[in-house]
Amino acid sequence: MTLPAKNSPKERDTALLVAVAAGDRRAIEELYLSYHRRLARFLSRFTPRYENVEEIINDTFMVVWQSAKDFRNASQVSTWIIGIAYRTALKSFRRQKNHTGARSLEDYPEQTVDPTFEAEVHDWLKHGLSRLPIEQRLTLELAYHMGHSLEEIAAITDCPVGTVKARMFHAREKLRQYLPALSGGPSDLSARIG
Amino acid sequence: MTHNRRTENSAEHHEVSALLPWYVNETLEEGDRQRVEVHAGNCLTCREDLAAQQRICEAIEAQPALNYMPVASLKRLQARLDTLAAPVSAPPQEQPANRMPWRAWMAASIAAMAVAVALFAGDRWVLEARLQPSFRTVTRSVPRPQGEVIRAVFSPTITLVELQTILDEAQLRIVSGPTEAGVYSLASNSTLTVHASLALLRQHSTVRFAEGTVLEPESGNSP
Repeated sequence: MTLPAKNSPKERDTALLVAVAAGDRRAIEELYLSYHRRLARFLSRFTPRYENVEEIINDTFMVVWQSAKDFRNASQVSTWIIGIAYRTALKSFRRQKNHTGARSLEDYPEQTVDPTFEAEVHDWLKHGLSRLPIEQRLTLELAYHMGHSLEEIAAITDCPVGTVKARMFHAREKLRQYLPALSGGPSDLSARIG
Repeated sequence: MTHNRRTENSAEHHEVSALLPWYVNETLEEGDRQRVEVHAGNCLTCREDLAAQQRICEAIEAQPALNYMPVASLKRLQARLDTLAAPVSAPPQEQPANRMPWRAWMAASIAAMAVAVALFAGDRWVLEARLQPSFRTVTRSVPRPQGEVIRAVFSPTITLVELQTILDEAQLRIVSGPTEAGVYSLASNSTLTVHASLALLRQHSTVRFAEGTVLEPESGNSP
């Protein structure tokens, strides 16, 4: 199997996946290494334990290895792989939630934590994010951390665009309640528009 | 009439409001982007929401994320792939040319190693004398062809610490360089394939160029 020459990342990913579908171990290795950093940084925001991050990534690539021959080019390879990681992570986080009894924001009475106790906006954000239902948080992170478009997130999460918008809307509303310091005041964007 | 206008504005407000996160991450199509800007220009609520979303986006981006070294994880994946049932990774019947990939090469590698061990046992002193100039680490189970190197050019602003970190991650060492053109010759420190090391190198923006000078015909089955 001849590996692809230096093409665009999309072409290279597609060529690698074709090689993976043909059973090329070197291709899955290269694909793994090119996605590991991005996935690890993304997943580490949901779980502090590297074992969990690694397990999700490796489970993802086991699925990639076994399902590459079923890939039909309906989406970009990157969207497909991140979509597999998304579903694998969702299952893992739900399992952890059942084991640890973790709760979402909806389980908490209003304002049980006073944000004024937190000195830093980042701490508030961390607390606020950790209390969002996992689907809402993943949607928020896919948009703001990974920079995916609305349509890409719909493809990754295998949901209609309307569902993605609704999840993001609810996430924003909850964060607004929880993070009053983040609202108000001018920003570059509003200055640009206003 | 006023009621209809208000309803229309309300619908527009909700639709635009739903697009704000993707205005912030700059992935909206041009038409939607202009729609947001026109509406937000007249809507204080949306402007405030934009400001809030921008802060959340910036705060999320600014959160520290750990960098992981993927090689150990990859080895565990390889071990799992090794244990998979054979039919799962078998290529389609109608593509006999693709049947070779890794099982055949694994068999070839094992045979080659057996021959190498036999030679080593049978004529140890002669071999040692011949191999004296070369260097093999204890972690290198499969001999590589001599002279197999990666040629790489790094950003001129890279620090030594950054360079060493990148080389450590890709499990490479400098065998020569940099040349006047800034080209380093790199050799593997481990059983990691040249392709894997190249993939790791190319992830870094400070690596301007990286190519294998002698690529392996097949590998990836290292333990």
